[in-house]
Amino acid sequence: MFGQLIVEGLAIGACYALFGIAVVIIYKTSEVVNFAQGEMAMLSTFVAYHILAYYSYPFWVAFIITMIFSICLGMFIEYAFLRPAKHPSLLGLIVITLGAEMLLMGVAGWKWGAEQKAFSLPFSFQSIHEPIKGIIINDWAIAVFVTTACLMVFLYLFFRYTKLGVAMRATQQNQQAAKIMGIRVERVFSFSWGLSSFIGAIAAMFFAARSTLDPAFMMDPFLRAFAAAVLGGLMSIPGVVIGGGILGLVENLFGYFWPEWKPIVAFVMIIIVLCIRPSGLFGRHYVKKV
Amino acid sequence: MVEKKRWFIGFFVIALLFISALPVSAAPGYDDKEIRIAAWGPQTGPAAPWGTVARGPGVLASIVNAEGGIYGRKIKHFVRDDQYNPAQTKVVVKELVEKYGIFAFVCGTSGASGLAVKDYLAQNKVIWVGPATSIKEYVFPVNPYIFTIMPLYEDEASVLTKYVVEKLKIKEIGVLYQNDPYGKNGLDGVRQRLTKYKLKPAAEIPVEAGEKDLSSQILKFKNTGVKTVMMWVNPTTAVIALKTAATIGYKPQWVASDTLSDFALMHKISGGLWEGVITGAFTSPPDSDHPLIAKYRNAIKKFAPEERPGLFFLAGMMFTEPLIDALKRTGKNLSTEGCLKALNSTKSFQGSGPKITWTSAQHQGTDSIMIWKCGPGGSTTVLQGWSANDLATWKKKK
Repeated sequence: MFGQLIVEGLAIGACYALFGIAVVIIYKTSEVVNFAQGEMAMLSTFVAYHILAYYSYPFWVAFIITMIFSICLGMFIEYAFLRPAKHPSLLGLIVITLGAEMLLMGVAGWKWGAEQKAFSLPFSFQSIHEPIKGIIINDWAIAVFVTTACLMVFLYLFFRYTKLGVAMRATQQNQQAAKIMGIRVERVFSFSWGLSSFIGAIAAMFFAARSTLDPAFMMDPFLRAFAAAVLGGLMSIPGVVIGGGILGLVENLFGYFWPEWKPIVAFVMIIIVLCIRPSGLFGRHYVKKV
Repeated sequence: MVEKKRWFIGFFVIALLFISALPVSAAPGYDDKEIRIAAWGPQTGPAAPWGTVARGPGVLASIVNAEGGIYGRKIKHFVRDDQYNPAQTKVVVKELVEKYGIFAFVCGTSGASGLAVKDYLAQNKVIWVGPATSIKEYVFPVNPYIFTIMPLYEDEASVLTKYVVEKLKIKEIGVLYQNDPYGKNGLDGVRQRLTKYKLKPAAEIPVEAGEKDLSSQILKFKNTGVKTVMMWVNPTTAVIALKTAATIGYKPQWVASDTLSDFALMHKISGGLWEGVITGAFTSPPDSDHPLIAKYRNAIKKFAPEERPGLFFLAGMMFTEPLIDALKRTGKNLSTEGCLKALNSTKSFQGSGPKITWTSAQHQGTDSIMIWKCGPGGSTTVLQGWSANDLATWKKKK
């Protein structure tokens, strides 16, 4: 029983983590919590759905087109909505993302309607394996684990060893200093929004395959992913992955023994973590001296 | 001067607020040419599939109008999107009543939304027929202006549980219920019936409407040895439950509320997993050869070709049938009192749904449901015709 609970908890936790990474990437560069993250991912998933349902393209062709769309969408939102804001405060930027959220949800509702749609991946949740007696794992969960692990390694290397990654970190720490050092801050922002939207779209496809696709389907996953990100530390990619895992496990254990508490565990955890460690379990905040 | 101006503006704003807070007397809702009816429901958002019910009455109004109207009066139907949000329901209902004048509301989705406006409607003497949800508080105690058709979830659950125990011979029953009046009423019905058999549910698991991960809950059903899972949840939660069960190789008999009996939709969004699911039903199947359903399907093609003649759209028409019947019986001299009198004398009225009976002392129209099973491609197999709940508590109180 516990073995199965752990597998299921880690699988959904990895999914939260994957989406949490998307939240962290934007936060890592601009310190903005993007409340449109879920809806950006939702819109990209609808694009994939549209290509599959109306043009009957093979999944991987639809996937590539969707990924290109998601990158463009992220960059567009940054360019069209956030960049024009003159001397914006952090709160102002967050409000802009809330506006973008409403807009994207409205666009999806207008184009595809509010009725739920079925979305499936080549990694079927119905294809199950029993590697250890009593512990069942399905292709969907394996795909989530592999994708999250690969992305985490890629991002770790990217932020540590590439010029662009270092530029993104520098921009987060001090925009003015980064500009003086020749970093094109606007381009860094655009790239980070594009990358975040790309990762968010992958996570949303996993969520849609496990439930249904409708304009509001990413609202709950966004809150959980945000909780995972806060738990692990909004600045730390390994932190968000561990945070997602912890969240998935705790939710599943509560869901099994005290199901009525399951929906609120994530938020109780956020409050506790913020009280004890405001930067999260693995987060490190750069404090500017006055 | 500036000070005076500020005082004036302040006075003006307060006066405006005071005036807007005053109750506006509602227009009567009819004249010599038309009778205005309306429905609210979520046209956007996660509950939007249930919101199609609000559009169904429009087609029934078109049928009535094409046949000459009611004593020369045409039916005009208004639809408003409340986004499944009671605060928004209040706004749209107030707007309809005070701006357009509504004679009667029909359908109306969400128990919380209905509870938010039922007293307002009664204060303004606006009739409400066939709420598209089943809430005890609507008609117990009797509200002179509300007439319900949908069987109580408690009655539905009791009849379904009887079927599971007596026909399917399964006693290990688990209940997955939404943590709100809808889900809890369903749970009460299961308990009520099982108590009669001196049994108890093997597991009772609440779930919140937006939850996307049900793995621990489904695992609990599996480990408890539950052979039938009965659900009072929303469509997305139901799909997640079935998909999650598939991920752990768990294959119980699924039994669900009548709110999940739109098999065409459920089969589609569950990727075919809905096949074999048994549900309650509050109307005739959308693909049945019932003469009224066949007539409605043709009317939808003619008057609303963009609409899918699905269960909830047709249910919207079914919920409106007794109002049309009462309006016809009221006669040429239409009045709210006259229509209420006609509604209160509705006896064994049968349209495309169950037999409806209302008296001045009883506004719950029925306790009967059908039992369906989802077949290949989302087709419907009727397992059991209209069946009443012999344990219905409200009938005993009478």
